[in-house]
Amino acid sequence: MAESICRALRDGALEGELAPALTIKDSVASPFALQVFSHVISQLFSSILAGKSQSRGLVVVSFSRSPSFYLDLLKNKGIDVASSNKQIQILDCYSDPLGWKDQLAGSRDFTALSNEALVSSTAIVFREVKHMDKLYNSIIELGKGLVRGGKIRFSIAIDSVDEMLRHAPVSSVARLLSNLRSHDQISSLFWLLHSDLHEARVSAVLEYLSSIVASLEPSHQLANGQRGDLENFKHNSKKGKFHVRFKKRNGRVRVMSEEVQIEQSGINFTSLPPEGAINQGLVPKVQFSLQLSEKERIDKANVVLPFEHQGNGKPIQIYDGRRSLVDSKHERPVAAVENVQTNENCGSGEIIYYRDSDDEMPDSDEDPDDDLDI
Amino acid sequence: MNQRSSNLLDEALGLDQVIEPWPLRGRVVAIEDQVETSGSFVLHHLLKCSLSPNSSNVTIFIAFSEPFSHYDRILRKLGCNLVSQRDNSRFFFFDMLKLQCPDGDEGITPEGGLIALYGKIHKTISALPEICWRNVSIIIDDLSLMEVAANGSSDYVLDFLHYCRTLTSEFDCSLITLNHEDIYSSEDRPTFFIQMEYLADILIKAEPLATGLATDVHGQLTVSNKGRNKVSNFHFKVKENVVECFYPGRSRG
Amino acid sequence: MAAAKTRTSTFSRNLSTAAPSHGPGLKCGPNGTIFLSSGIPDLDKILGGGFPLGSLVMVMEDAEAPHHMLLLRNFMAQGLVLGQPLLYSSPARDPRGFLGTLPSPAASKDDKSRERDPDQEKGLRIAWQYKKYFGENQLDGQRDGKHEYSNEFDLRKPLERHFINGPHIDCVSIQDCPDLSTLRDRFATFLSQFPRNNGSISCAGRIAIQSFCAPQCAYSNMEWDMLSFIRSLKSMVRSSNSVAIITFPPSLLSPSFCKRWQHMADTLLSVKAIQDEDKELAQLLTGYQDMVGFLNVHKVAGINTQVPVILEATTFSIKLQKRRYLVLECLNQAPVDGSSGTSYGTSGGCSSSSKTGNLDF
Repeated sequence: MAESICRALRDGALEGELAPALTIKDSVASPFALQVFSHVISQLFSSILAGKSQSRGLVVVSFSRSPSFYLDLLKNKGIDVASSNKQIQILDCYSDPLGWKDQLAGSRDFTALSNEALVSSTAIVFREVKHMDKLYNSIIELGKGLVRGGKIRFSIAIDSVDEMLRHAPVSSVARLLSNLRSHDQISSLFWLLHSDLHEARVSAVLEYLSSIVASLEPSHQLANGQRGDLENFKHNSKKGKFHVRFKKRNGRVRVMSEEVQIEQSGINFTSLPPEGAINQGLVPKVQFSLQLSEKERIDKANVVLPFEHQGNGKPIQIYDGRRSLVDSKHERPVAAVENVQTNENCGSGEIIYYRDSDDEMPDSDEDPDDDLDI
Repeated sequence: MNQRSSNLLDEALGLDQVIEPWPLRGRVVAIEDQVETSGSFVLHHLLKCSLSPNSSNVTIFIAFSEPFSHYDRILRKLGCNLVSQRDNSRFFFFDMLKLQCPDGDEGITPEGGLIALYGKIHKTISALPEICWRNVSIIIDDLSLMEVAANGSSDYVLDFLHYCRTLTSEFDCSLITLNHEDIYSSEDRPTFFIQMEYLADILIKAEPLATGLATDVHGQLTVSNKGRNKVSNFHFKVKENVVECFYPGRSRG
Repeated sequence: MAAAKTRTSTFSRNLSTAAPSHGPGLKCGPNGTIFLSSGIPDLDKILGGGFPLGSLVMVMEDAEAPHHMLLLRNFMAQGLVLGQPLLYSSPARDPRGFLGTLPSPAASKDDKSRERDPDQEKGLRIAWQYKKYFGENQLDGQRDGKHEYSNEFDLRKPLERHFINGPHIDCVSIQDCPDLSTLRDRFATFLSQFPRNNGSISCAGRIAIQSFCAPQCAYSNMEWDMLSFIRSLKSMVRSSNSVAIITFPPSLLSPSFCKRWQHMADTLLSVKAIQDEDKELAQLLTGYQDMVGFLNVHKVAGINTQVPVILEATTFSIKLQKRRYLVLECLNQAPVDGSSGTSYGTSGGCSSSSKTGNLDF
């Protein structure tokens, strides 16, 4: 399934349609989004290098990791970055996002380090992360430089939107992302989100903007978020559940889940048996409940229908409503209450019937429509 | 002997085998504690390890909570002389007890506040010989007071921490912070706190035991080492000259 | 920053004890700290000697009972009796008026007789308790020969006028204070009288701030400003020979700020009212009749040390003995039915959570 995500990003956008966009989100209980993000980057980039993808280049907008982190990552996957820097460019929003280093350099003896040659040939430092418009222009410029004009497309990876959201309001971040999606030279884009850093609305906005949502959840829920349960906590630090929702072009949603396992070398996906319960919420609510739950079914089976009890040796009783009038009036309700209680205990079903009022005619065998003159 | 008794903590942090090169280099370590159980002894322990004679580490200590004399006395009892280490340029102490950032956004200028502090740290590191860079630890005690110094602007503090983090990738040094978990536990969405947990490569939690404080067990530590994919949990007892760590029920009285 | 301390030797022990000349009302504590008395001998004993100079003490008030005032009164009176400068601030319009309510030291003869007074209703228990205290009392007595450290106060006798009208007493109303920076300056000038250097300490100052976040103060909704005031006060106190006490009603702060305040404190205490005519409690606790409330010790100052101070018990009853003397005692729980397993020993926890519900905070 992680496969199919990569395939969707690789295949890219159709002419005149929005580029596919992937949100990878997690929470502290299962903080593996970066691993998934890294996995997707390396998969996508190797297919770009092999020429199997629609896009011809990759722009990484790095906020939370240094450019060398990504270069090392690709190197570890056996990709020769030095020769492939025609295909990858990194917009470095990590090293000096607010221009502090720049300001300090101006005001006193502050010597910024010169980057390694490889990093400086692939990465460009961006210093004004508060300006989303400038960020947009820089991304597009960088991408166009990679693919050299024309109608050739490129992909964008953003780690993480959280940092963007700290520096700019949700609306301008959303504008940036949706402008990127609709740009006709962009093949696909994906970003990283730590959902618990923001209000619920923020992750809703980002999910709305994306065509694929991949979310990581802990495989063991901890009791009210506490870490008291050490075993589960230990378990969660290695494994998680990986849910993906594809918004397909034909209007369907494909839901899949897998288990992820974090290892020293990387991340592993193993498929999970499908959960049947997922779609239940989609079925519209019917006025009448047509299906019975297990408990309802048992209760129903326990109901002794009128007359059904007769014939097992007990005296035959037919309630005609009249006898109660003969009995003392205050005794009957007490007995009724007792009945209810004992029934709760023994678990057998019963139809409890109260007459609405004494005005009501007692039940009788008489045909109520007797006087009907047709 | 001392080495032996704190093995569990050192083991969890990867400090038990080699100390040179510094095993925490390039890492962010977050220590979290509570009113009942202070976690500052972990800071002292790390400070002691990094200044140990077998290593060539340099420590930059950013103190918001206590004056130099306090740490000096504690570390002396742990067998480490901060004054002489300071004279040897292995220990740099930044007294931030009186730091107060100017109010409002216009207060964020390179002349004052946290930007200047960052500049000072950067200058200190780059003035060191290049071979020392990867053995630098930056220790901040503690983040909640830094928030107060920044007039409650946690974004400003996060920006500062981001810049400190760039130092970990630029120079391969380590960043060690202390914060108080219970301050944030009543908040609905403690962004600052969670952000710090995301940043951390190693998370150390000091908590009281569920049964309360006792004289022979001062609390429990949970160390999650994301890099090595390992979680360890043990009890501890703080003494003047050492921290004793043991598995539950193994207290030596 | 004590940059002046450039001793390179690791043999630092007891250097401060060797420095002999402390002013009256000061005594050496562990780790080179110097204590001054809280004005309540029992509290001094609980805390291991008193409040260390340079520390910030915070008291969480009870919303319903004025027990924090008892602590403040004794703390202030003790300072005045010893001639230590005092800065008192409260949300009242005229804080100076409060000085009239300070208690006077009990005559030492009276004091002695109280120690050996056998006519208490609970003879056995008292005997046990004093056995523990008696040795220390004698020690204190010896010290008295040199100079006074602490006094017993008689709450029904007002402090003599000449103590109150001293020139070294300053009172500030925090109600009229429009912003905290002027208040901070006032405290800074007060504290500049007691700079810390390695020489002998001639005089120590006391700061008492009552109900700091009281709602009638103009700044009481500026939580960050209050916090940064406390932080700067703490750092000023740290570098001077003085002790500051702040009392505050925790219920008026948001939970997370309340925690921040608690983290600020070096010594953290709380007081709690006792319910009147609580039959259940009366049965549970011996000496319920004399109790006016509870004192809880949450944190004991750990200056110059990393070892936490773990007390045997953290909850104490506040009693007014003979309706004159403030006494703190460990809770003596009467034997309970075996079924409820809340034994005294297990309740020494951080918040004494296993104790009867209404004692908790």
